Amino acid sequence: MLLRDHVRIRLCQARDMLASVDLPMHVDDLAREVNMSPFHFIRQFQSVFGVTPHQFRIASRLEHAKLLLARGTYSVTDVCMEVGFSSLGSFSALFAQRVGESPSAYRRRMHAMVSVPGRIPAVLTPGCLSLLAQLPPDAFSSFREASPSRL
Amino acid sequence: MRIKLTSIMVDDQEKALRFYTNLLGFERKHDIPAGEYRWITVVSPEGPDDLELSLEPNANPAGKTFQQALFAQGIPATAFESSQIDAECARLKEKGVVFTREPMDAGPVRMAIFSDTCGNLIQLHQKKG
Repeated sequence: MLLRDHVRIRLCQARDMLASVDLPMHVDDLAREVNMSPFHFIRQFQSVFGVTPHQFRIASRLEHAKLLLARGTYSVTDVCMEVGFSSLGSFSALFAQRVGESPSAYRRRMHAMVSVPGRIPAVLTPGCLSLLAQLPPDAFSSFREASPSRL
Repeated sequence: MRIKLTSIMVDDQEKALRFYTNLLGFERKHDIPAGEYRWITVVSPEGPDDLELSLEPNANPAGKTFQQALFAQGIPATAFESSQIDAECARLKEKGVVFTREPMDAGPVRMAIFSDTCGNLIQLHQKKG
């Protein structure tokens, strides 16, 4: 499929709106905002970004929640509401499923790493080289190199 | 001194690994847990001892902002070389990859641009002659 420039730009606008917790638009409204039918919008978005608009919004909200929790100034309930979830139970369950620990455990662990108030802990800003630095000294010799069949 | 490693930011490492191996045809070289994320590199089967490409999480807000701006501006985040660009693009399109530029002549190369579904545009090029 060939994606025209004006469609790419519209999809980027939609992506930015989906990532904004201040604009909790319904996907149908968002599709209308970027001049596409809902079906066409969802299909195009998924082809270009690899996830549906709904999946993208959930992932963005969880990423935002991680940052707020790490700062330690908001309660878990406040973070849940701040990022647009209406149910603390579903937020906590989804967070634990995706991140691997509950929001409160994540908040405790991350907040302990914050040495300068307001600064994002380095563990939340992983880069190619910082990840490499976290590996044990014998990582490359002891770790079984992956084969395509494991995919 | 030599260039051995480069990286590309991706919004989901698992999704990126699937795209770069299953669709593009690269091979997983390293895949090692690193805290909440993974140290993942892929290599080309045409040059397994060449440069490794690290699939780096874009969790850093600064990096994500830059990545999203590049995509919105239509600018590729990186480029790969092909010896058969037209056939390669036809193969990728058959698999559902979305292109923003069909193969076209551009000075000394023939080039095309596609989305990697992980937040990046990738340029593919082939030297002419």
